[in-house]
Amino acid sequence: MSSESVLIDIESDFMRSPEKVMRLDRMGSSFPTRLSFMRTLIRRMSKENWQFKRTLRKVDKDGYGVSVYSAITPKRTYSLIAFTQEIPADMRTDRVIAEVWDATFSLFDGVPTQEDIDYLAENTPLQEGGRYRPSELVLARANKSLRVFENIISALASGNQPDIELISSVGYLMRTTAVYGSGKFGCADRAKIADRPECRAPFQIELLAVYLIRWFTIDLVEELAKERGGKQAVRLDQNISRFIGVGNSTGLGMAPFLLKHPTLIHNWVVAKETALARVRSIETALPGTLEVFLKSLLQASQHIDEWSVADDVQTARITCLTDEIQSLRMWCEDESNIFRPYPWNGIYQFVEDNFSLECQEMIVSLIIEPHGSIVDDLADTMSTTTIPKFKAAMSLAQLKEVVADAYKWATTIDFSLEESQHHFWYYSEDKLEPRFGSKGVDDGVDQEMPLAIGRDVHDLNEVLATTDEDMPIGEFAMNYPHFRHIIRRIQNTFERPYSEVQDNLLSESMRPLDLLRFKLAFFGASKFDPKSDLWTRISMYQGAPLPEQIQDPNHDCWSFPIAGRSQSYPCISCSCQKAI
Amino acid sequence: MPKSDLTISLNEVLFYFTRAGFGVKAPIGVSEDFARSNIWAAQNGFDPSECSILALDNLDLKKSSLSIKFEKNSKSSHLFCTEEKVLSSLEASVSCVDWIEFNGLDGELKISNVDCPFLIIASLGASQCSGVKASWTDQDNNSFEVNFIDDSKWEMISSSETSIELSHYADVYISSLDAVKSKIQNGKNKTFNLENEKLKVLNNGVKVGEKWPEIYEYFSRCLVKSSAESRASGAGAGLVDTD
Repeated sequence: MSSESVLIDIESDFMRSPEKVMRLDRMGSSFPTRLSFMRTLIRRMSKENWQFKRTLRKVDKDGYGVSVYSAITPKRTYSLIAFTQEIPADMRTDRVIAEVWDATFSLFDGVPTQEDIDYLAENTPLQEGGRYRPSELVLARANKSLRVFENIISALASGNQPDIELISSVGYLMRTTAVYGSGKFGCADRAKIADRPECRAPFQIELLAVYLIRWFTIDLVEELAKERGGKQAVRLDQNISRFIGVGNSTGLGMAPFLLKHPTLIHNWVVAKETALARVRSIETALPGTLEVFLKSLLQASQHIDEWSVADDVQTARITCLTDEIQSLRMWCEDESNIFRPYPWNGIYQFVEDNFSLECQEMIVSLIIEPHGSIVDDLADTMSTTTIPKFKAAMSLAQLKEVVADAYKWATTIDFSLEESQHHFWYYSEDKLEPRFGSKGVDDGVDQEMPLAIGRDVHDLNEVLATTDEDMPIGEFAMNYPHFRHIIRRIQNTFERPYSEVQDNLLSESMRPLDLLRFKLAFFGASKFDPKSDLWTRISMYQGAPLPEQIQDPNHDCWSFPIAGRSQSYPCISCSCQKAI
Repeated sequence: MPKSDLTISLNEVLFYFTRAGFGVKAPIGVSEDFARSNIWAAQNGFDPSECSILALDNLDLKKSSLSIKFEKNSKSSHLFCTEEKVLSSLEASVSCVDWIEFNGLDGELKISNVDCPFLIIASLGASQCSGVKASWTDQDNNSFEVNFIDDSKWEMISSSETSIELSHYADVYISSLDAVKSKIQNGKNKTFNLENEKLKVLNNGVKVGEKWPEIYEYFSRCLVKSSAESRASGAGAGLVDTD
């Protein structure tokens, strides 16, 4: 099946509507699913038996220097070139405006020559200040979690395993603070790699870089422990190393991306919602799937117990989720509730009727999980090469109809109220850092990014109300060129109804965090740890197999991981086919 | 980034040129199409900053206008500026593509007094128009014809050595490819294979020359000056993260 050719039935009773799904509060409750991009990548690595090699390690006793880690696919090699350096503690910031990092990375397309490594040694540590070539696919950087880093090295050097509670509370050795691809700073454009099978799904090359960074961090502490402890040193226990992910600090940069790529977002959401609809429409549960689901509820409970954050709002949501999963387990103990026709729809409906959005979205993930055989094909439909076009031949009458049908959420907002236009988005001259300003407080309203979708639709709608419907849309756009972008957007929504966030992104109560979590969940991130309404920390690849484990039978079973333990329930219907 | 003689990516063309258009107060939707046109130009081996700088300068200096009207009679159609100014090629290019989509190419379309005709060509190319001919004679009496033959190639015929992207100020005529015969005698002919040209750019990047700093200057107008307050409150993460 080619990209975007998936057959979906939006009229299906089991398909959730855009009005339900594309609201900020639900988007901000998202969890990763088996269609998340990290999961897709790991499945491919295993299926194609990718090989992984450290091909260069030229570092001093403290680990500072350069290393190269390669992923060898059936047709190509990708190489992560890692530069490490000592930095002053007071310059260690996760913000885009940082100037130095503990580690910086370029993902090279192929096997780098010494000349390539020398070129990148002059540029990669500068990050946005350097220039890159089409041979570089990804640019990234990471900072250490100092306490975990030192704890693990000390423990391993003295022959012991590290403090699992500490690892559980943080989850990673380093956190990335930016992972740039798609032509940033001169790197290769996405079009260069988009036709490669391993790059077709969204963000695969960026997430390959992150996967290799994770391996690099674990390799680095094991090597430093060996350096420090000599023969006494031990390697990390495999269950512990598998639990170590890569952290990430995500700020506002992701929010404009979501709004600027409506076609892509539609494809992501349609794939996930189609997966859910397929599962809900199963009349008789596939053998073993209900049993797997019930066991996964227990594991999810344990995972939630380890999900500890400082943020009061998220803490309350986690507490509520804990109680609701417990209630659901008790409800499921009554076999008449689940062993009946359309069992998955019954479970989903019970959760939707009784529990929080956080719980609803976790259950969406858990009921999709045992159904790899009927949903994994959807991963191939989540990318796009389509660029929304302005369609001059559409009639104004049709445009009005789409606005009335799909943008009621916008046309009913009272934008004369101050709280409806409290915020604006802008780029700072500080390394082009995206920022979220408040009108009357921050400068830059005149340079506002064009992300005021609701307001622009609202304004257009007022003009449309007084315009002759017979006027060709091309002529309308000549008279009102400032509406061109929003007309194009509305036309795109007509064909792709899941493309639009159906909330006012300028309102005083808007939390960019909701957009970040939505996107990060599609990546496959977990342990959302909000630090404010503007940014969050997360873990990536926590529980995923390491390169040496990629052929293990449970390589595809790592959702909702638990510290220091392999998954407590067996897989079914996934590509590894481990028997129940 | 503001230095000249750089190699940039197509994504950077999109990013910087959209905002450069916005920086001279072109509407964002028009600026997005302007950037897409520049991507097409870059994919065909042209320096997008050379293609666009005059159009941006003219808008910035208010020598050109985005105000446009069209008239149609039984034989031809006409797009023209409603003010006593040059018609900005940013608006002319999107209106031309819209007009073709809505009306088809039954007869000739004349676009009067456009500052950068090649941006109309780039816009037609970016919109994957085929079976279309464009022609003009510029203020220096250089004549150009462009034929969009099919989805895979286009050709350019010129009467002089002047680079097509440096041809300025002309009435541009658009028609279907088979409607009008070539008027340029003994012209220089060059054919572009779109896939080959694109592949070259994807593997080597887009070279931008001495006009790039001026594009960057227009882009920079979209950036907001940073203050201690906005650094602290407007974005995520702490200013020092030592955990």
